[in-house]
Amino acid sequence: MAPTAQTIRVKVLFFGRLKDVAGLAEESCEVADGATIESLFAELAKRNGELARFRPSLVASRNQEFAAWNTPLRAHDEVAFLPPVSGG
Amino acid sequence: MGAPLSDDVVLLVPDAIDVNGLMAHVRADEDGAIVTFDGFVRNESHGRRTLYLDYEAYESMAVAKMQEIAAQLREKYAIHRVAIAHRLGRLEIGETSVFIAVSAPHRAAAFDACRYAIDTLKRTVPIWKKEYFEDGAVWADGELPPIPGTTPAATPTAKPAS
Repeated sequence: MAPTAQTIRVKVLFFGRLKDVAGLAEESCEVADGATIESLFAELAKRNGELARFRPSLVASRNQEFAAWNTPLRAHDEVAFLPPVSGG
Repeated sequence: MGAPLSDDVVLLVPDAIDVNGLMAHVRADEDGAIVTFDGFVRNESHGRRTLYLDYEAYESMAVAKMQEIAAQLREKYAIHRVAIAHRLGRLEIGETSVFIAVSAPHRAAAFDACRYAIDTLKRTVPIWKKEYFEDGAVWADGELPPIPGTTPAATPTAKPAS
């Protein structure tokens, strides 16, 4: 019954200064099946050019774990883009 | 060693951290020492007078990362109990933003573990601090957490100048 999915939906979170740049804290994104964290970010940066400038100073997480940019995404993943952390 | 991991306390709190409660929690008759770290809000940053700070966190991940730190302390050091608490929201000058207490039978392990805990927290726990000054607010410069399993070429090793 389930056809081959062409796209998947993931939850995207922004924090710190990146939340200000993105203009929101959370959104739901549809990406191509096979997309990676990197390609998701590229899609978002296409929509909001300001974001691209921050790419070198970000790390990403997938489902609450730090993740490499080439990590493939699965449906319903929670992806977050994290500026340098400054707790303490 | 000693008590099971569930005896550790890891907290994100919206109000004042119960410093005495956390110290009492880690203290036990088989211990001989408690080392604590009390991080609180300084009244200036790079020569500018700070009015107050505002902390936010990726809460679910921050708690998980703080629990990982507690687990690492148990692997690395001969300690008894660990308590780690970080406050979120608006903090005034002098208020405690982070508090860590480590108990151990002997002081050396407690000192080493407490130092490791705060250093690791500052590098790996997704919490961010916004500094409010008389003439505006800025997100504090921070540290980029290391990504496990990435090749050096794919991992930025230095913060961009800001």
